[in-house]
This record gives sequence, structure tokens and C-alpha cells, in this order.
Amino acid sequence: MTTVSAERDASVLSRMGLGLWTVRSMAQWPRHAVGGFSELVDDALLAEELGFHSIWSAEHRMWYDGWCPSPLLALAHVAGATRRLRLGTAVLLASQHDPISLARTAATLDRVSGGRLDLGIGLGHRDVEFDALGLRRDRRGRMMDRALELMPRVWGGEYGDAPPIQAPGPALWMGGMAPRVLERAVAGNYNLLLPQTLSAGRIGALIEDIRARGWSATAGVMRDLWIEDDPARVEEMRRRLERGFTEEAGWWVLQGHPAFDAPELLARQLHRVSDAALIGSADDVAAGLRALLEAGVGFLCLRINIDIADHAELREQMHRVAGQLPPRLAGALVTSGARG
Amino acid sequence: MRFLLEAPVDGDLDEITAAARAAHANGVDGVLIRRSRWSPDPLVVVAAVAARVAEIRIAAEIELGEQHPFEVAENVAVTDLTTGGRLILVVRPAGALGDYAEALDLLRTALTPRPFRFEGARWRVPANLPENEFGQERLVRLTPAPAQPSVPVWGTGAGRGPALERGLGHLADEDDPADELGAAHARAASSLGPAAIGAPRARRETLGDGPEALVARLLAGREQFGQDWAVVAGGGDEAAVIGRQVRPRVQLEHLHPSLVALWEPDAG
Repeated sequence: MTTVSAERDASVLSRMGLGLWTVRSMAQWPRHAVGGFSELVDDALLAEELGFHSIWSAEHRMWYDGWCPSPLLALAHVAGATRRLRLGTAVLLASQHDPISLARTAATLDRVSGGRLDLGIGLGHRDVEFDALGLRRDRRGRMMDRALELMPRVWGGEYGDAPPIQAPGPALWMGGMAPRVLERAVAGNYNLLLPQTLSAGRIGALIEDIRARGWSATAGVMRDLWIEDDPARVEEMRRRLERGFTEEAGWWVLQGHPAFDAPELLARQLHRVSDAALIGSADDVAAGLRALLEAGVGFLCLRINIDIADHAELREQMHRVAGQLPPRLAGALVTSGARG
Repeated sequence: MRFLLEAPVDGDLDEITAAARAAHANGVDGVLIRRSRWSPDPLVVVAAVAARVAEIRIAAEIELGEQHPFEVAENVAVTDLTTGGRLILVVRPAGALGDYAEALDLLRTALTPRPFRFEGARWRVPANLPENEFGQERLVRLTPAPAQPSVPVWGTGAGRGPALERGLGHLADEDDPADELGAAHARAASSLGPAAIGAPRARRETLGDGPEALVARLLAGREQFGQDWAVVAGGGDEAAVIGRQVRPRVQLEHLHPSLVALWEPDAG
């Protein structure tokens, strides 16, 4: 299992990935479908140049905005243009795929990229996505367990394929925080990719709990983030985040209800997301990240691409994160979540 | 006549990229990436090469009939977008021919920008499984749509027949007899009528017997079954031979002998 470098004095950028490139064309931010993939490559090249660890995509299907349903192919495009940057999914919906085909696509990407794939996987929750593929949503846990059983066998050569570059296979990250997710992470000693709404305190307790159960992989966490000094801009970006999240989460299923039909649940979720988002001065943002690192987080997936900004603003933000956060986080890697 | 260079299947990305660049430099129309132990999903290789080499067509040969065709169609659409609309999809049956034919129809339906419903013997989209309480849609749509209004799909191997019946292109193998190919096209043309016009007719070829033998074979293939694409195995050397010695000789019905004589000192 590949883990993020645990060097105490390494730049904190080597523990920071940028997310999430979903290549959408939204009502608020329309763009050409092909251009979205060109921008993805341009952004990945900038992330590589600035020294970030990785760039992350995600998966959903069948939405008006063309949310990319095949993140591994989007990342394959990035692999062709980059040399060092790692390529992640946060998350790929492993329970919606044929496990053998998925393992092969992942292995091909791992080979093509020279071993740079970080395969974050989750369950998915929209009934229509499962239904289009002839799958039952209530069996998604079983599908996930099957994928976790079959993928290593494909990577081990049982189906006649050459091995991936990373041994025994692409680095696996379990997305989510449900008890069953943690059980799976402990059982396979997989890396974790915790949701953006968890506080540092809860994360610290969670890590302590699973360490006691023998887990020794890397705890990654997602975090919505935007650096702005001007208070008016801070408010503006928070409003954009809330609107963007409402649009995105409105077509989710929350506790068994389509979110747009359950406005109270949607509002509660929105507050959780908005409260946890780090939007503010570089000092404020760095303080929030420092708390996470000190709670034992070994990897940060910084979600700056929350579809609340145009492309120029996004690239400017990448420069800000790379330039302004590392000096403020020097020495924060006291408690390393990584084990080599 | 158009050409695809069939890139080495066990090469790494840099090797495949070199072949693709050589194709581009020599006026070859594109490259074909085949499935191998090394690259069990050729679409991944297509998306990566697309970031490195502009303008050429990038074809992938995949199996159809096992993996859910909607999932395949999503991967095809995204791959085509990464190429800016340069993908050619070559398909062969993964198992039973009936499943392959159904998968072909579902794939092509899903690649349109229309909400659709597909009811086949093996696959139903949407499935409307009662357990998916919030998934009871009448019609569904694959998003995003591919870059190309119509992604070229060619049948190969045992998958040629169903492709021909649908007015699609085909990729014949090197040892498929030309007269049989000609007869198959005549049958397709008589049942499809004008709908058969324009379907690409490709065959795998080799430069093993030299450029002159390949030129002769292509001219014969054109006479016998209307061949208009050649897929030639090789890398940079083969791309140069195609570009300089084969391609110029098979573009028109015939050339003036003096022109060919003028080229001779450049040959070899």
C-alpha cells in the first residue's frame, strides 16, 4: 500500500491534493464539453508545477451538467500530459461497476501513468444511477465487497493480465465514515478518505479508534477551501459555495429522500458543509488545516474546485494555496498519519 | 484510401506515443490501440495518447457483450471527449453473438444525446427494479454526450456481420478472403439500400512482403470489396514506408507511370 511520505520536514504540499475536477458544464458556469477536458489537463500541469501531490476527480452519472461518469478516463488524459502528479478519485463509485472491468481499467491507468493512481472508492447513493446499470442500490455494500475481493485477484494475474506498476495494486482509499466503511478500511488496511464535514476533533477520535484496531494506513480528509482576504469576497464565496452545494446535493438521496423533496434535510446538510468549509484569510484557512494535521490526518484533499469560480479564479486560487499555506503550516506535521 | 498504424501492444506509453507521432509526421490517418495483457482497457491508452499527439485519429479495439453496454458507452463518450472527437471504436464479441449485437444497439442508442429507453433480451435501461424506489425513470440519458455527433463503430472478427447489417464499418482480418468480403458487402447493400453508402471497409494488412506487395493488395482489395482503410501493424519505420511509398500510390484509381518513375529514387 502506497502512503504519503511521512518525512516531517517535507513540504506540506506533498500531502496536499487538489479536488475535485468533475468536468461539468453547469447553468452557472457553462463551457464546451471538450474544453472542460483541456482545462483539466491545463490545471493538472499547473498543480504539478506548483508541487501538489495529486489532482482528484469524482464520479456521478446521468445529470444535466455532464458530471464525468468515467473519472479514470479523465485521469488517463491527465496521465498523458503529466510526469509526477498523482491521479486520484474521490470517489469512484466501485459498487456501480463490473469489478473485473473496473480492475482492468484501473490497472491500465496505473501502468500508463507509471504507478500514479490513487483509487478512492465509495458506494454511491442515487437510485437512478444503480438502476440504469441494472443494479440494486440496496446491494451496494455487497457490490463493494465483491470489488474489493476481485480487484486484487485481477491485479495478481489470476485473469491473465500483466501486473500494475504499484504492488500489489493501485493505492486504495476508502471514501466515507460509516461504521461499515471503517470496518472495511481496518480489514484491508486501506487508506481512508474522510468526508469534508468531519471536524478535527471527531477525526482525531476516529483515527485513535481504528489505530487501536490495528489499522496503520493513511487518513486523508476532504475539505472545501478558498483563500480570500477581503471580507466581502469571503461572504461572496460562501454564498457561491452554498448555492453550488445546493445544486449538487439537490439531486442526491438524503436518508432515503431525493434532497430537493426534503428541504429540511438538504438545509441541514448544507449547514454542515458550509460550517466545515475553510473560506477566509490564509491565516484562518491554515489554522483549520493545522488542526486536521495535528489530529492525525496524513493527507489533505483540498476541494478548491467546487464549481463556484470561473477558470481564471480557480487557477489564481491554486497559486494562493501553493504560495500562502506551506509557510503557515511549517512544523504542523508533528503527528504523522502515514506509515511507510 | 486511409491508414491506421496498429501500435505495438506490449509497448509502454512512450513507445505508443512514438508510433502515434510517426503516424502524424508521415500523413497516416491514425493509430489503433489493441487490447493486451499490458493494456486490458485500450480506451485508457487512447485518452493518454490524446493528450500527447494532436489531430490523428485514435482507434481502440474493445470487446462488447459482457460488460454492461451503458457503462461501456460512458467510457466511450468520455474517451471521445478527451480526444476532441478523434475516436474510432472497433468492437468484437466478448461472448455470444446475440449479446454482442444487443450490446451494439444499446451502445449506439446510449451515445445519442436523447433520453431513451432500451428493452433487450439481456439488458434493460432503465431497469426499473422495484427495489430502486427513487429510480423509476421512464427515460434516461447518458451524459456527457461524446464529442462526435456519431462515433464511428467498426465490427471486427465475429462481430463484422452484425456491424455490416447495421450499415456500420468493419475491420477484416488479413486472411479474410476478399471475395467473401465482397459478397457480404453486396448482401448488406441489397438489404440496406442507400443506408449502406459510406460504411468504412477496413482490413488488417502487413508490410512483411514490402511496400509494393501491400500496394498491389490494397488495389485488389479496393476492386474486390471496396476497401478504403488499411490497418498496418508497426511503428515509426512502417509509418514512414506507408507515408512515402504506399499511401501516394493508392489514392487515385491510377497514376501516370512517369510520376511513379519520378518517385523511384526516393523509394527504399
